[in-house]
Amino acid sequence: MSGLTFTMLDTAKMSTAEIYGQALCGLGEEHPEIVGLSADLAKSTKIGAFGEKFPDRFFNVGIAEQNMFGMAAGLAKAGLVPYVSTFAIFTAMRGLDQVHTDICYQNLDVKMIATHAGLSFGQAGTTHHCTEDIAIMRSMANLTVVVPADGVETANAVRAAYERKGPVYIRINRGFDQVVYDGPDYGFEIGKAVTMRDGTDLTVIACGSTVWRAVEAAAMLEKSDGLKVRVLNMHTIKPIDAEAIERAVRETRRIITVEDHSVVGGLGGAVAEVAAGTGKSFSFKRLGVPDCFSIIGLHEDLLAHYGIDENGIAAAVREMMGKDFEADDDWEDEV
Amino acid sequence: MGDDELYASRIFLGAALPLLKVLAVDHAGVRKGFAGKSGAVQVSALTGGREAVYGAPKIGAHFVVENGELRFEKGLAEGPDIELEFKSVAALNGFFSGKAMKLPRIRGALAKPGLLVATFKGLLAMSAALGATEPPAAEAERELVVKLYFYLLSSGISQLNKAGHPDVARWVAASPDRVYAWSVEGKPELSAYLRLKAGNSRAARGVYERSKPFFTMSFDSTESALGILMSIDDMVEATKAGRIIMKGAPEYGAAIGEYMMLVGAYAK
Amino acid sequence: MALTTEERRRLEDKAHELRLLSVDTVAWAGSGHVGGSMSAMDIMTILYHKYMRVDPKDPAKPDRDRFILSKGHVGVGYAPLLADLGYFDKELLREYNHTGSPLGMHLDSNKVRGVEASTGSLGHGLAIGLGMALGARLRGEAWKTFVLLGDGECDEGAVWESAMAAAHFKATNLITVVDRNHCMIDGPTEDVMALEPFADKWRAFGFEVIEADGHDFDALASAIERAMAATDKPVVIIADTIKGCGIDFIAGDYKWHYGGFDAEKLAKAKESLGLYHESRLAKGAER
Repeated sequence: MSGLTFTMLDTAKMSTAEIYGQALCGLGEEHPEIVGLSADLAKSTKIGAFGEKFPDRFFNVGIAEQNMFGMAAGLAKAGLVPYVSTFAIFTAMRGLDQVHTDICYQNLDVKMIATHAGLSFGQAGTTHHCTEDIAIMRSMANLTVVVPADGVETANAVRAAYERKGPVYIRINRGFDQVVYDGPDYGFEIGKAVTMRDGTDLTVIACGSTVWRAVEAAAMLEKSDGLKVRVLNMHTIKPIDAEAIERAVRETRRIITVEDHSVVGGLGGAVAEVAAGTGKSFSFKRLGVPDCFSIIGLHEDLLAHYGIDENGIAAAVREMMGKDFEADDDWEDEV
Repeated sequence: MGDDELYASRIFLGAALPLLKVLAVDHAGVRKGFAGKSGAVQVSALTGGREAVYGAPKIGAHFVVENGELRFEKGLAEGPDIELEFKSVAALNGFFSGKAMKLPRIRGALAKPGLLVATFKGLLAMSAALGATEPPAAEAERELVVKLYFYLLSSGISQLNKAGHPDVARWVAASPDRVYAWSVEGKPELSAYLRLKAGNSRAARGVYERSKPFFTMSFDSTESALGILMSIDDMVEATKAGRIIMKGAPEYGAAIGEYMMLVGAYAK
Repeated sequence: MALTTEERRRLEDKAHELRLLSVDTVAWAGSGHVGGSMSAMDIMTILYHKYMRVDPKDPAKPDRDRFILSKGHVGVGYAPLLADLGYFDKELLREYNHTGSPLGMHLDSNKVRGVEASTGSLGHGLAIGLGMALGARLRGEAWKTFVLLGDGECDEGAVWESAMAAAHFKATNLITVVDRNHCMIDGPTEDVMALEPFADKWRAFGFEVIEADGHDFDALASAIERAMAATDKPVVIIADTIKGCGIDFIAGDYKWHYGGFDAEKLAKAKESLGLYHESRLAKGAER
C-alpha cells in the first residue's frame, strides 16, 4: 500500500470528505479501471476532486440516484470499478432497490461512499439526516459496511474497498471531524476492531464520529473516577469483529455502544446480536438517536443533545458502573 | 491504627481458622485426624470489658465436621461438641499469632477426644505451614502452602474491610466493581480472588470466571510465590526477573501488595 | 439490409420452436409469465439469431454483445432461447421453478449462463445497460448493449432517469427495445396508467424513435440495423406486439400476463401456435 500523497498538516485542514476525495484521486492514478459517479453532489461529497482529475472517468448523472446505482452496476459488469458517492440517506433509501438488487445481489465491485451520514448535516434536518442506514445496509447480504472514525481512516477504507471483492458501503460525515489517528499505519483491517484504549472495568464500542468522543470520555473517566474503560473502534459493522465483542463480554462484562445513528438496528443491534450469542450475562446499553426524527442544529450540539458526545458517554459509563448484577447480595467471604 | 485487636481477631477467626478446611482435604495428617469424626467445633473469646466494641459478650467461629468433612458456619454454635474458649480476645490473638502459648479453656474433651486432637493437629499443621521461613522441598507441599497464603490474604483483606480498617475500608469504598486475583501460572487450582464494589468485599477460592480480573498478581512458580509470601524475595527484584507478573495496572499492584503486608502484620 | 427468404424462414421456424419450448417450460414450471414471453419472442429471436455476436461456449467473452431482459419476469421465454443456443442443458428447463433449481421466475445472473443481469424488479435494466454501454465506450470496446423493456415497466420513474442520462451521455451503443404489448397485470396499459403519447415521450427525452411491428421480422430487422448505426442519439425501438400472440385463447388478453396450462390447455396452445406459425410463413411468402 503506497502512502498518502498529502502531509499531516494538510490533513489538519481537510475535512473527512476532502481526504476521501484526495485518496480516491491517488487510487485512480494507480488503477485506471476506477470510475466515479455522483448525483449532482460532486462538490458536496468531494468526489468532484476525482471528477476534475479524470473527467472522462467521472459521470455526474444529475439528481437521479436510482439511475446512478443502476449505472454503477452496469459499469462494474463492464469490468470497471465504480466509486459512487451521494448522501447516505439517498444511498440507503432512494436508491436502495438498485443497491440491493443490482449491486449486492449480483455481488458487484461497486464501492459506495455515503456522505453526510448520521446527524452530521445537522441544520439540513431530517430530510438529509440518515440515522437508519447502518441498520438497513448491514441487512444486505454480500455487502461490507465500514464506518471510518476520521479522515485518515476514511482514506484507509477507500483503499481497502478497492482490494476487497464485492460491494462496499463506506459511511462518512459531512466533514470536519476531529482527528483520531496520527497516520494511516495503525493496523487498519476490514473486519478488525481497533482497541483505542484497554481496560477491564467496562467496554465502550463506537464507530464513526463517536470514536473520538468515546476516547475523550474514557480519558476523562480515568482521570476523575479512576476507571479503566476499554474503547473499541468498531469501524467495520459488517463483517463485525465478533471476537473482539466476545472478548469484551468475557473480560469486562459491561458494554456500551455509541453511534451517530438510531439505537435501533445499527452498531448497537449488531453488537447485541453477537454478545447475546455468547450466553454469558453482561450489562448492556445502546447510545444513539433514541428512535425519533432529529431536531435541527449543529452536529456537535445534536450529539450533545442526544447524549452521544463525550459527556453523554461518560454519564452512561458512570451509571452502568453503579448498577448491580444479579446475585450481588452475597458478600460473605467463601470459607 | 484503629482497633488492632479487633482487626487481628477478625483475621484469625474469619480468614485463618477457615483454612482448616483446606488442610483437612490437602494435608494427609490432618485428613487422617478428622477421618470418621463428627461434631461441631467452636473457637471463641470472651469480650469482657470490651463488649461494646465487639457487640456481644463472646465472639467466635465454628465448623461442623461430618464424617471427616469440614463445613464452616457463621457466628457461634448452639451447643458445640468441642469449644476452645479464650479468656479474652487478646488471648485468642496471642495464641493464633504464636506469641502467647496460654491455652484456652477446653470443653468437650472427654466426650469427643478424637475431634479435639484432630483440631489441634490441624492448628499445628497450619501454624507450621504459615510459619515456615523457607519454602518446603516438595512441590505438593509448596502448592498447599501457596493455597493457604492466597486464601488467607484474600480473606484477610476482606475481613479488614468488613471490620472497618480505615485504610482498607476507604480503598474498598471508592472501588468500582473490580476483582483482584492471585495465581500461579499453570496451576489454576491454587487461585484465589477478591471482589470489591463500593464498600462491599468478598473473598473467594478458585478462578473468577465472570470477567477478566481487574488485576492479577501471578507468580511463575510456587517457589517464586513463596519467595514473596514468606518475605524472602524482594518484590521489585522478583518483578524485574519475571517471577511475579503483574497483570493489570501496576499502581493497583502496589496497593494490593500493601494490604497483603498489612494482613501479614496482623497475622504474625 | 432486407432479409433473404431463407433468413426469414429460419427466423420464423426458430421463433416458433422457441414458443413451443416456452409453453412447455410454463407447463413444467407449473405456471409462468406466458403472455409477455409470447409477445417478446420475435424480438429476442432476431436479436440473438441475427444481430448479436455471442458465444454460448464462452459467456464471459469480453467483446460479446450484451442483452438485458429488463422485463425480467419473462424468464420462461428467455431461458428456452438460451438453452436452445447451448448456454446450458435444455433438460434443466424441466426443473424450472422447482426448489433448488437455478432457473426461477426471474433469471439469476449468478446462476444462469448467458444472463447478463438479475432483473425482475422493473425499471433497472436500462440503467444497468447504460452503465455497460458507457463502460464499453470508456474501455474503447465496440460491443453493443441491447435492453428489452416492457411497456408497463415504463411507468417506473427510474426508466426515465436512465433515458434522460442515455441521451445526455449520447450512449448510441445502447439499443433500447420496448415490447409494447399494451397490457399489464391490472388491465390494458392505457386504462391503468396511460403511456400515450408514448413515442413522443421518448423523443422528448432525446431518443430517436423507430416504431415497428414486433411480429414482423423484416420490420424488426430494418429497425435494429438503423439503431445499431446510430451516431447522434440513442435509439428506442417501440415494437408493437400482441400479448400472448400465437395462442388464440390468450392473445391480447391482459389476464394472461401470468398463467398455467394443464395437459389439455397445453395441447390446445401448441395446436394454436402451429396454426399461427403457418399463417406467419404464408404472410412471409407473400413478400
